[in-house]
Amino acid sequence: MLATVLSATLHGLEGRVIRVEVDVAPGLPGFSIVGLPDAALQESKERVRGAIRNAGFIYPPRRITANLAPADLRKAGASLDLAIALGILLGSEQVRATGRWALLGELSLGGEVRRVPGLLPMLAALARRGARRAIVPADGLAEARLVSDLESLPASTLAAAVDLVRGPRSRRPRAQAPQRVELAAETAGQTAPAEPAAWSGDLPDLSDVRGQVEARRALEIALAGGHGLLLVGPPGAGKTLLARTIPGLLPPLGDRESLSATVVDSVAGEHPITGLVRRPPFRAPHHTISYAGMVGGGPRLSPGEVTMADYGVLFLDELPEFDRDVLEALREPLEDGHVAIARVGRAAIFPARFQLVAAMNPCPCGYAGTDSSRCHCRDSLVERYAERVSGPLRDRIDLWVTMPRVAPAALVSRAEPESSATVAARIASCRERQVQRRGRLNSRLSGRALRGAARLGKMEERRLVALSELEGLSARGTERLLRVARTIADLAEAESVDGACLEEAARYRSPASVAAQRLAG
Amino acid sequence: MGRDGLMAREVGPDGGASVPVSGQALRTESRTLLEERDAWTVLASIHGLGPVTFGSLLRRFGSGRGILSVARRRGGRAALTARAGPKGEQEVTRISADLAARIVEHAARGDDVLEAVSREGLIVVTLEDAAFPARLLAIEMPPHVLFVKGDPAVLSSPSAVAVVGTRRPSDYGRRVAARIAGSLARQGTTVVSGLAVGIDGAAHAACVAEHRPTLAVLGGGHRHLFPLAHRRLADAIVDSGGAVVSELPPDASPTRGTFPRRNRLISGLADATVVVEAAAQSGALITASWALEQGRPCFLVPGAIDSPTVAGSLAFLRAYPEAARIVAGVPELLEDLGLAPAHADAGEPVRATPAERASKAPTASRESVLSHLGGSERAVAEALVAGRSTADELVATTELPIASVLGVLTLLEMRGLAVAAYGRYRPAGLLASS
Repeated sequence: MLATVLSATLHGLEGRVIRVEVDVAPGLPGFSIVGLPDAALQESKERVRGAIRNAGFIYPPRRITANLAPADLRKAGASLDLAIALGILLGSEQVRATGRWALLGELSLGGEVRRVPGLLPMLAALARRGARRAIVPADGLAEARLVSDLESLPASTLAAAVDLVRGPRSRRPRAQAPQRVELAAETAGQTAPAEPAAWSGDLPDLSDVRGQVEARRALEIALAGGHGLLLVGPPGAGKTLLARTIPGLLPPLGDRESLSATVVDSVAGEHPITGLVRRPPFRAPHHTISYAGMVGGGPRLSPGEVTMADYGVLFLDELPEFDRDVLEALREPLEDGHVAIARVGRAAIFPARFQLVAAMNPCPCGYAGTDSSRCHCRDSLVERYAERVSGPLRDRIDLWVTMPRVAPAALVSRAEPESSATVAARIASCRERQVQRRGRLNSRLSGRALRGAARLGKMEERRLVALSELEGLSARGTERLLRVARTIADLAEAESVDGACLEEAARYRSPASVAAQRLAG
Repeated sequence: MGRDGLMAREVGPDGGASVPVSGQALRTESRTLLEERDAWTVLASIHGLGPVTFGSLLRRFGSGRGILSVARRRGGRAALTARAGPKGEQEVTRISADLAARIVEHAARGDDVLEAVSREGLIVVTLEDAAFPARLLAIEMPPHVLFVKGDPAVLSSPSAVAVVGTRRPSDYGRRVAARIAGSLARQGTTVVSGLAVGIDGAAHAACVAEHRPTLAVLGGGHRHLFPLAHRRLADAIVDSGGAVVSELPPDASPTRGTFPRRNRLISGLADATVVVEAAAQSGALITASWALEQGRPCFLVPGAIDSPTVAGSLAFLRAYPEAARIVAGVPELLEDLGLAPAHADAGEPVRATPAERASKAPTASRESVLSHLGGSERAVAEALVAGRSTADELVATTELPIASVLGVLTLLEMRGLAVAAYGRYRPAGLLASS
């Protein structure tokens, strides 16, 4: 007999509705899945067989064919397990369903229903296609309930899912599940892998950062205008500490951004989602990260760090240590705000509207420019090190700051530095000003829009020309300068950019050349 | 030292066409001279055509114009690379195909080079000019062409001493460099250095503060001056009667190879070389070696034996105990150089500089510079002079908000009064001199 159940798979960040048709027919016992399944889906056969048996049902000794429609779409992942299993139970007439159901979930051999990544977009896709009721893994319920257009019911086991499908009237006692030997450790491992530990718990506050007024100021400007920021300094200058204060400085996400960030989080599947993600993401991948890890891809076409940092901050510590390919790959997302990934038969576009914050040492050993002349790097080596931060990246970094080591005296300075809350308030109101003016942050302004927003007077125009000539700035460099100046003016709540803003902005330019920086040291 | 139009033709925007226009009534003799000079200028701008190859080409083809006309001819490339000279010369340096191609290319668009030279307001002095410094004629491989900004007479001043050293000096080094350069300048001696940051800059600035001519030798072309503050210093050098000189065409960018090559000119243009602070492997030691090789005295300023900034100087003193000499003090140095302090009063009077003539500004000492700065600029400048170097320190000392401190630093940098490196700020130009 033929049974049809609705389910969904992931395609990039979008859910795709899949109709699972299962035919249980007389013939030689066997199980085949057709409709472009990937390797994980082929293995689904074994999981489904085990789950059905261990949940106390009979695995029909017949010829089983599962067809996944539409047939031309490549399907990946284990989200169809539950639907296939139920299809077999319906097809072999062990269960009779009341109404139409959508099912999402991976099965264990023991019959438990496991959380799958991307519940949120998959359910959203089902809702758009008119599904009204869905059975989801119990530990994904909070996430599923974010989709309000359809009713999500939790099932922690295949048996529980069957109960729900049968409906309240026809409920009858199930057959006893076979006895199982269970190791205690098993459950502990799979429940609640906590949030990514590093950035969630104890965030450092800006008042923990002593001294470094210049870098603090640059960070505030960068976050206020969404500008790329590069911190250069010897080890121990406080680059990483400063960067770690970023999550506490960013305003919470708006509704649209929040939904988008939640979808990304859901698809990444790193941790269970308990509600809409309101805190802007802060991603700090290690410099050994692979190309696919950074931009996304892999067999599952999963999002990379650039996408996980969408609407948030991507922090690259030890910037020159990243693989050249990985850094080059940032070009597209930095310019277009998204990455396109193509795999055989599949292509996806992931959003990547992140703000780049990076840190690096001034030279390979890290001590160039410190008083004690500790640096013994050869000049050519220093040059090559700095040149790894190449063209496209340079163009996207609006602010460069060099952090000297803080003298011990400043560490115990009497002045209490500003706290994160104070600075965060300024950043939030500054962002609001920008959005009200042009509907976007200053870092995304260019050309005429930027000129219009800057409202330079005659004096200021001349100042800008003088500054850019003096610094030998390219047209792009001049735009960067103007963008930063606009944000400085916004922080001061000024309508137009004045000379002082331009002069301060000129401080954050990239060093004219490696040689110049080296020679001046 | 005379200076007239024939010996050092000034090629400026107003100084007539860089290339004589055909049909113009020019005296044949002077025209020939001009064309030959232009030919040398074009040839000297060719990357990879060093003194040796230049010399051998001149021997083969007779003149610069000869080389260019061969290059312009059909099959010029082959003629240039051909092994034998016209008279079967025994020793001809082989020219690579690449270099020959570049010569042919430059021969075709020689006007661009002359145009660039005139745009920069440079004076071209060739090996055959009377204005070519005699000191350089005495060294091995003198450059065939010098590109000079300022007064070419400075190249041949009666007394010249090079003061060079590390780019990352200690305060001690900076102070000593300024004192030595200042004293030499007051003696009427021209101080030669490399316009780099650190010791070089301090030496030049001290001369500028004394309104005495000083000679800066660049490692690249005139259009590649760095850091920013030193573009201002270069202007100040020219304004105070000095000169900035390079053997490379204006567009040549400095590379690792050009600095050691330049250093032979620094020592070559001076009667003696003084090294103030050189760490191990410092480029200043290359200058010192050149001085010894050129048979000119070389002096090194000693320092504490555990200080890395003088490690190279001390090692050099140890390695050449016979040749390298020690600086025991400024008066002692002057004595050793044969510039007895008694001569000080006999020195030529301070020349009125163009800058002085142009503006009514009082003597540009550090104090007068400070007094001309506005309120917050002055506060920051004074803090810089007092040795505050980080933004933290500047904010704490001046009690100005960080935003204004940073803006003021840009202004000071624009005026050549401050440099930034590795997150620290230092006084530069006239602010750095004492």
